[in-house]
Amino acid sequence: MGDFNIFHHMPWSSAYSIYFFTIGISAALFFMSALSWYREEFRTLRSSAFYLSFVLLVVSGLLLIGDLSKPARFLNTVNPAYLNFSSPLAWGALNLLSFGAVSVAYFFMMRKGNEAMSRKLAVLGSLLALGLPIYTGFDLTVHQNRPVWNTPLMPILFVALSLVSGAAVASFLAGKQEKLLVMLRQIMLWSGGAVAAMLISLLGTTAYGGTGEELTFMFMTSGTLGAIFIGVGILLGTAAPILLLLAPFGRQQGGVMLAALLLLVGGMALRYSILIGGQIVQTYF
Amino acid sequence: MSETRLSSSETHGVPGKKRYAMVIDLRRCIGCDACMVACKAEFDVPLGVFRTWVPYKVVGTYPNVRKHFMPRLCNHCEDPPCVRACPVGATYVVEDGGFVLQHYDRCIGCKACMASCPYNARFMLPKSRTYTDITSVVDKCTFCHHRVTQGLSPACVQTCIGRARIFGDINDPASEVSRLVSTLPTQVLRPEEGTKPHVFYIGLDRNTSEFGREVYSRPEVLEEDRQAFNKNHQA
Ligand code: SF4
Ligand code: SF4
Repeated sequence: MGDFNIFHHMPWSSAYSIYFFTIGISAALFFMSALSWYREEFRTLRSSAFYLSFVLLVVSGLLLIGDLSKPARFLNTVNPAYLNFSSPLAWGALNLLSFGAVSVAYFFMMRKGNEAMSRKLAVLGSLLALGLPIYTGFDLTVHQNRPVWNTPLMPILFVALSLVSGAAVASFLAGKQEKLLVMLRQIMLWSGGAVAAMLISLLGTTAYGGTGEELTFMFMTSGTLGAIFIGVGILLGTAAPILLLLAPFGRQQGGVMLAALLLLVGGMALRYSILIGGQIVQTYF
Repeated sequence: MSETRLSSSETHGVPGKKRYAMVIDLRRCIGCDACMVACKAEFDVPLGVFRTWVPYKVVGTYPNVRKHFMPRLCNHCEDPPCVRACPVGATYVVEDGGFVLQHYDRCIGCKACMASCPYNARFMLPKSRTYTDITSVVDKCTFCHHRVTQGLSPACVQTCIGRARIFGDINDPASEVSRLVSTLPTQVLRPEEGTKPHVFYIGLDRNTSEFGREVYSRPEVLEEDRQAFNKNHQA
């Protein structure tokens, strides 16, 4: 070899994966709080899930702004004279802001005990919450030159990941509420299963893709990233908790919480490895 | 190159509009890196980042080996993914000429454009610079917009000792770039990305321009090189 190249940096650092993680949980927790108006089992989560969702929304916003190299200019993203609607980031900025505004309104209506308004805001907020993982998925998927990212799966995968991680956090807030734990276990099982199915397709299409995809597959399934993606993300953080939830122990509170912990670790590992995995090969071009 | 027009700013072949392009004749490049130096001087490009760079690959089997140089720069794509990725319109196309440029005062530094460029043509400027106060925003090659609009050629073209870089208006049938692209087989980088690049290579070999399997099983020395490079050239 003896080649010479300029070594390019990965544009998006791992901080983005923490953002994906926290915003996904925030969105799902809002959804759980909203559900409480329509499903009695979720009643105990109404305020606790909402408060945690709001804290995580603030943390996510700060993470996102902190990662800009010009943080003070973050308001440019909502300047109508600048907004470029062909960019998913522009949609994301609007989605985040409107979700924040609806969250604040929801808080006041809840405090006032205005049930009719709270119910309406719960639905509106849930729709906006759904937009958050969808737009983060689009953030990645629109880059046609990036292996792993550029697949129609990404927005749906992020929605499923958001539900898994959100239900996992909610199960820590649920305490000993039997009926609620049953529901959360169901959500974790179904969305965890969806994540697993999508990961299998993702691995298949990546392994059988072109040069960039194939090389990315090799990076993501070996070495340190392989340990994080396959070891922590898929085996420990997706397959193991699903099996655990299916086992008799997985129907008890302890089992659900252990599975939730594993799903959270796995959710973070998957987001990290997908974010980094899509950028490795390009640094050599 | 696909003839479908997707973006409204496409000017290739549009009568009455200029469309600048560069032809790089790889048969003539000797790898002297003068273009890299000229560009650095023209724009005070900081250490560790480049608007144009000349990577090389040693190809062939001993004794039949050669160094394959491949000068690189922004391709001033006709359908640039960087422009559509920018949430605040900080990167834009100058319709008359096809330059893809930056509004430095608008860029928020989200790096979406860097993620979307299939050619690694973009980089982040460091937090502080000695002679220039444009910092912490994304930068890239401008096709020397300030020179070209004054009737000069880009700095890299002007300095190229082998006349490997040729610049001009591809919409003008009498221009040298037009003649070269019309009469010789040329290649653009990664045409499959749908970007319609406007840097045309003569003598480009796809086998050497893409990363191969050696990216995965690269010699340790290359990784050490990479780490040293990253350590010394954090932008
Ligand atoms: S080469 Fe990259 S930076 Fe230049 S116009 Fe094309 S996509 Fe944009
Ligand atoms: S880094 Fe700047 S130019 Fe690039 S997409 Fe973000 S705001 Fe636009």
